[in-house]
Amino acid sequence: MDRRDFLKTAGGSVLAGTSCVYAFRFLIASDSGGPTAETPTSCRRWGMVINLDKCLEDCTACLSACRNENNVAHHGDARWDIHWIRKVRLVKKHTENLGKQVLLMCNHCDNPPCAQVCPVQATYKRDDGIVIVDHHRCIGCRYCMIACPYNARFFNFRENEDWPNRDFPKRSHGVAEACTLCAHRLERGLKPACVDACEAQGAGALTVGNLNDAGSEVSQLIARNPVKRIREDLGTEPKIYYIGL
Amino acid sequence: MSQTLPRSNRRALLIAVPIMIVLFPLGYSLVSSLVAQGAPADSEVFLERPVAEHEACVRETAYMRYHHWELLKQIREDVVRYGIRGDVGLKKCSECHASRERFCDRCHDAVSLFPDCFDCHYYP
Repeated sequence: MDRRDFLKTAGGSVLAGTSCVYAFRFLIASDSGGPTAETPTSCRRWGMVINLDKCLEDCTACLSACRNENNVAHHGDARWDIHWIRKVRLVKKHTENLGKQVLLMCNHCDNPPCAQVCPVQATYKRDDGIVIVDHHRCIGCRYCMIACPYNARFFNFRENEDWPNRDFPKRSHGVAEACTLCAHRLERGLKPACVDACEAQGAGALTVGNLNDAGSEVSQLIARNPVKRIREDLGTEPKIYYIGL
Repeated sequence: MSQTLPRSNRRALLIAVPIMIVLFPLGYSLVSSLVAQGAPADSEVFLERPVAEHEACVRETAYMRYHHWELLKQIREDVVRYGIRGDVGLKKCSECHASRERFCDRCHDAVSLFPDCFDCHYYP
């Protein structure tokens, strides 16, 4: 056997051995594949209508319901507090109070700037229109916070110690987050926590539903009332509709 | 050496030894994983069953022991990306394997693995 044959034999053996090991590993792990069933996100398009005429003044039931349902961090310091939904007073030129309170949250845009800029595709729009963050993948670059024209995104600057709802994960330090329209509740056929809380208050200002279905409550509300969306001029096509804005 | 071994044998040895050295790690991992698959389970420690209704695990023990993270990752992908919210997940695991210290951490500590699942997901 000359040098050439030896190298051939040795190389072949190494290749064969390696491929055997990998084939073995693959055979064991063959259970994990792609998604097989049709996903439940494919046919619906979730949207929300906020009727500001019905919204009670200085009522914050939806805000606290959201905190308790989704373990949203509240440190008591405005620098680090996270708000999935918040209530603001409209003022003109910083002084003149217009006497109107507006609920602000993630607008779940059809054309989401946050998802476009995300360098790792952690933020994305699901087939049912909900814009959601995969916190496993988020690297905490905060580009989405800069991109979002609605200031709906918040960053976990510190670890959240409160954990009121143990069935739902909290977010660890170093990821961005925003309203998910309570996707986990919608998938179980429940309404989002804020909508439930608003109904419990007897106000009924919040309505959530399928925008693709013309007979749904949200579609009817949008058809019958003059609705506005925030900053429609930006072309982000938000799916939160306001009555009485 | 040259007196005890004939020339052809010596050449065979020269070829065989380097090949064996190169292939040793691969063979070692293959054999050790095979041995570990057949190892008996000390089920008393791993299994505490506060909810008695479950008959068996979602996969067999040998698969779960070495590939549970692949299953969990697959479930994560289904839930987060596609909205397929089945009933299998960390919460379901905890219905039989009730303690994180005595179930998850026991192996993870032994092999010096520190997955950050439990920073965000509750496990009793």
